[in-house]
Amino acid sequence: MCWWYSDAAEFRLRAREFLVDGLAAGQRVRYVGSAPEAVLTRELDGVTELAEALRDGTAQVRSLAEAYPGGSVVDPDEQVAVYARATEEAVADGFTGFRVAADATALVRAPDQLAAFLRYEHLIDRYMSENPMSAMCGYDRSELGDPAVAQLACLHPQTNVRLAGFRLHAASDRTVALAGELDMTNRSLLDSALDRVDLAADGGEMVVDAPELAFIDHACLLRLAGYAERRGVALVLRTDWPGASRMAQVLGLSRVRVERAA
Amino acid sequence: MTIDTTLDGFVHPALFYRSDDEYLAALVPFVSDGVAAGQPVAVAVPGPRLSVLRAALSGVADRVTMIDMAEAGRNPGRIIAGVLRRFADEHPGTHVRIIGEPIWPGRTADEYPACAQHEALINAAFTGRDLTIVCPYDVVGLDPHVVADARVTHPLVWEADSRYPSDDYAPERVIAHYNQPLDGRADAVAMTVTEVNQITEARRFTTAHARALGLAEERVADLELIATELVTNSLIHATGSCVLRLWRHGDHLVCEVRDAGHLSDPLAGRRPAPGDQPFGRGLLLVNELADLVRAHTTPTGTTLRALLRLVR
Repeated sequence: MCWWYSDAAEFRLRAREFLVDGLAAGQRVRYVGSAPEAVLTRELDGVTELAEALRDGTAQVRSLAEAYPGGSVVDPDEQVAVYARATEEAVADGFTGFRVAADATALVRAPDQLAAFLRYEHLIDRYMSENPMSAMCGYDRSELGDPAVAQLACLHPQTNVRLAGFRLHAASDRTVALAGELDMTNRSLLDSALDRVDLAADGGEMVVDAPELAFIDHACLLRLAGYAERRGVALVLRTDWPGASRMAQVLGLSRVRVERAA
Repeated sequence: MTIDTTLDGFVHPALFYRSDDEYLAALVPFVSDGVAAGQPVAVAVPGPRLSVLRAALSGVADRVTMIDMAEAGRNPGRIIAGVLRRFADEHPGTHVRIIGEPIWPGRTADEYPACAQHEALINAAFTGRDLTIVCPYDVVGLDPHVVADARVTHPLVWEADSRYPSDDYAPERVIAHYNQPLDGRADAVAMTVTEVNQITEARRFTTAHARALGLAEERVADLELIATELVTNSLIHATGSCVLRLWRHGDHLVCEVRDAGHLSDPLAGRRPAPGDQPFGRGLLLVNELADLVRAHTTPTGTTLRALLRLVR
């Protein structure tokens, strides 16, 4: 999930809760931030479960400043590989999984950083949908403008901002999940989100699972259909919102199949 | 009566009939000659007329596409794209025959102006095509002014004993005549939409009031699309803001969008979807989903009204 904060103390509180929940579920947990590791460790002070876990290695801290020098652009594939290894190690060490709480503000300040990070977001999302890893990303809203916030928020399955109006994220079985409302308000945001996610299409179809889709206008539906078309596949949209099948029928969209949501 | 088996190019007659016998005397040969010539034939007439024709066409009925115009063409604004072009475009390279009866005695005063404009627009929509669309008019049941309009919207008239060009043919006159101001309503709820980021709010406004006015849950998605596409269209094509209004009118819910733009293309929303662009189907969608669409447009302002039936 992604969490937008205006006060760093508020994010630390949420992150500690998230990590303690992970410990309770038998996971190895990691806290990531911009500050040096000694400072990050102190930020976790006062929580008994975390203090104990830090001592025996069940909880870890990592500094972004050490992993990523200022202004670094994330290498999406490499960063997913890092977390995949950490998850595999945690499972090999007998944990039920791996959980990360990270303040990622420092990684999305510049446009080139943001573009790479958005791609990483989708890849890690895909990884997490199929592996025992979970993550909470924090962003300082006062440092990032609304366009950046919206671009990040729409790619997260769960978020505490509604700026984007929709969410597009990886789901199980190589499908993609779409939720919320899509119209001219967020049409260009949908375009850029589709560019980031670079959806895989298996078996001649691109399946978009959308049980929480509340509205999509014709231009946005055609954007999705065109995205599938350019990859030479048909679009399968799984939604119970009746407008989608009405549109596909009356507009004669032969390459769009609307099914009931599972 | 001579039977014309050599229809060629675009032929658009009004057929004036005074009885079932006259109806069948003209239309049964029209259909069976077409079938005999291997031409595709569609019959799009209201249900009771369909029964009359089907019984008389027993030998060839299975080779004719039968469409209930009272359903498919309830909103006359969708007949060109959804009925006539849909059938014609499925059969390229041959002369196509269609019976299209969009006007019958049960048409309401709200519907009629849109029906007349539709009949007039068929001419521009099919110029240069190879098909015949014969439009039957029940001259006993219809008002004389409707029959007079048919002479203006059709280049040819077929009657029981004669077929002749219409001296009154001037379809643009009917389009202009029925481009009538749509008066405002004092009991409407209204929302002014100025910016794109109000579209979502406009949709919520629409559905909340529509439910309160009694719209069935199964039509709510249709109305969400109609209101969204009308408002979106206004924000794209008109300058300044638009005003969205809703009210109940008899057995219908009315969703109106008024803006300062001009709908200069009378066939907007009546052509089938273009295959290659990922937009531009807003009005087509509104025409397909609404039970009636009325329009008034001038160079300084346009009002589009979509009506949805509140009762089945």
